[in-house]
Amino acid sequence: MSQAVQKKVVDSRGSFCPGPLTDLFKAYRSARPGDLIEVWATDPAAKSDITAWASKTGNQLVSVEDDEGYTRITVKVTNKKA
Amino acid sequence: MKKVVILGAGSGGTLLANLLAHEFRREIEDGAVGVQLVGEGDDHVFQPGNLDVAFRGSDPASVVRRESSLLKKGVLQVTEGAAKVDLEQRVVTTRGGSKIPYDHVVFATGAVADPGLMPGLREGSLNFHEGPAEAARIWAALQGFEGGTAVVAITRVPHKCPPSPNEAAFMLDEFFRRRGTRGSVKIKFVTPYPRPYPAEQVSDVIQPLFEKRGIELVPFFAADHVDAKAKKIYSMEGESVDYDLLIAVPPHRGAEVVRASGIGDEEGWIPVDSRTMKVRDHPEAYAIGDATSIPISKSGVVAHLQAEAVAGSLALELRGGREVFEYNGRINCPMETGLRRALFVSGTYDSAPRRERPTLLRYAMKREFASIYWSTIQGGWSWLMDAYFGETSEPHELPA
Repeated sequence: MSQAVQKKVVDSRGSFCPGPLTDLFKAYRSARPGDLIEVWATDPAAKSDITAWASKTGNQLVSVEDDEGYTRITVKVTNKKA
Repeated sequence: MKKVVILGAGSGGTLLANLLAHEFRREIEDGAVGVQLVGEGDDHVFQPGNLDVAFRGSDPASVVRRESSLLKKGVLQVTEGAAKVDLEQRVVTTRGGSKIPYDHVVFATGAVADPGLMPGLREGSLNFHEGPAEAARIWAALQGFEGGTAVVAITRVPHKCPPSPNEAAFMLDEFFRRRGTRGSVKIKFVTPYPRPYPAEQVSDVIQPLFEKRGIELVPFFAADHVDAKAKKIYSMEGESVDYDLLIAVPPHRGAEVVRASGIGDEEGWIPVDSRTMKVRDHPEAYAIGDATSIPISKSGVVAHLQAEAVAGSLALELRGGREVFEYNGRINCPMETGLRRALFVSGTYDSAPRRERPTLLRYAMKREFASIYWSTIQGGWSWLMDAYFGETSEPHELPA
C-alpha cells in the first residue's frame, strides 16, 4: 500500500546562507519520492541555491513565491533513490 | 547551597566551570555555591589538533591533557558521564546511577561524530572527527598511499568545525606536494553544498584555490551509503564517486544523554534561545557549543564565547539579578589553506562572513591561538580574547 504524499514546511527565516540549504538537506533525508518540501527563507541566496540544487539532483522545483519579507520555495522529491 | 551542574568537559564546559569557580570563589569556600563538572573520563582533547595528527603526523598524545589539571580550585569534577537529566525534578543521573540535584544545569555535551549512522562508512572510510586515535589512522594510511584517488567527503551536515573538510583537502594537497607524488594523486572534494564552502563569500575565495591546487569539486552530493568493497560512495540519487582513499566527515548527532532526557530534536540537538542560550521551556537550564540546534558553526570559539555569556548570566541569576547575557552569534573559524596560509571565517547573527584572502599572518594567528588554548579554557588570556572579539554578549532585562 502506498503512503500518502507529505508536505513538509521548513522555516529557515532569519538564517544566513547556507542555513536554508542545510535545513532542506535535513528534510530531504527523511522525505519519500513524491513528497513536497517548502522552504521559507529570508536569505536572498536561498532562491538560487535551491533552484540549482533541484536542477543538479534531478528533483523538481515547483514554485518560488515572494511573501511579506520572505520567500517560499517548494520542491518536489522526484529523484531520490535511497 | 545554590548548585550549578555542567554536563560535558570539552572547551565550553571546562571554561564555564573555571569562570564560575573564579566568579564565586568566596561563595564556594563558604559553601553557598557549588560548581560541578560532569564529564566522561579525564581526557581533554584539543580537537583542532586532530588535523595535525592526520596530515602532519603529530603525536596523538600531544593534543590530549588531563581534564583535572585544567580545572580551577572550587570545581568539583565527576568523571562518570551523565546518563539522564530530569528537568522537572532538576536531577542529573550519572551512568553509574548517582543522583546529582541542581539549581541550574548547563548542557555542554558536544556533538558525536558517528560513522555508524551511514551504511558502509565505518568500514570504508577514515576520519579525523572522532578523535586523535582515528586521525592517526589517516597519517598511517597516507604513508602507504602511492597514487590514486583521495576523496574528502562531507557525508552529512551539521558537523563539527565547518572549515575542517576544506582544510583536510588543502593539507592532503600539501602532503603529496611535499612528498613529490602530487602528480599521481587525484584529490576530490565531495559536498552536499553547491560550492566548496557553505557561505558564499568564503567560497568565492576557496573556489579559485581549489582550481589552482587541482582539487576537483563534486557539489550537490547528498551521501547515502558507502560500498567499502567496491570503494564507492553513493548519493541519495544513486550517483557514485570512486575512491582509493576516503576521508569522510561522518554524520554527527547530539550526545546520548540529550536524547535520553527527551529534550533534543530527532538528531539530539538541543533547542535553545539563540541569544540567551536558555533551553526552550526550561529557564533554569542552558545549552552551549556543539550541543545546540541553532544554525551556527559547531566550533570551539563559539562554545568559548557562549560559555562566557552563560557565566555572566549565572553570575547575575545566582545573585538574584533580573538580567541575562545575550550572545550576538559571533563566529571565528580559522581555515588553513595549506602552504602556511589561513583565513578566518568571521561573522555574527546579523552579519554574514566577509570575504578575506588567506595570509601568513592569519596562519600565524591560528597557530598562536592553538598554543594558548590550554590556558584560555582556564580563563587565561581573557584580555586578548576581549581585545580580539570585542563585546560578544551583553546583559538584557529578563522578560517578566
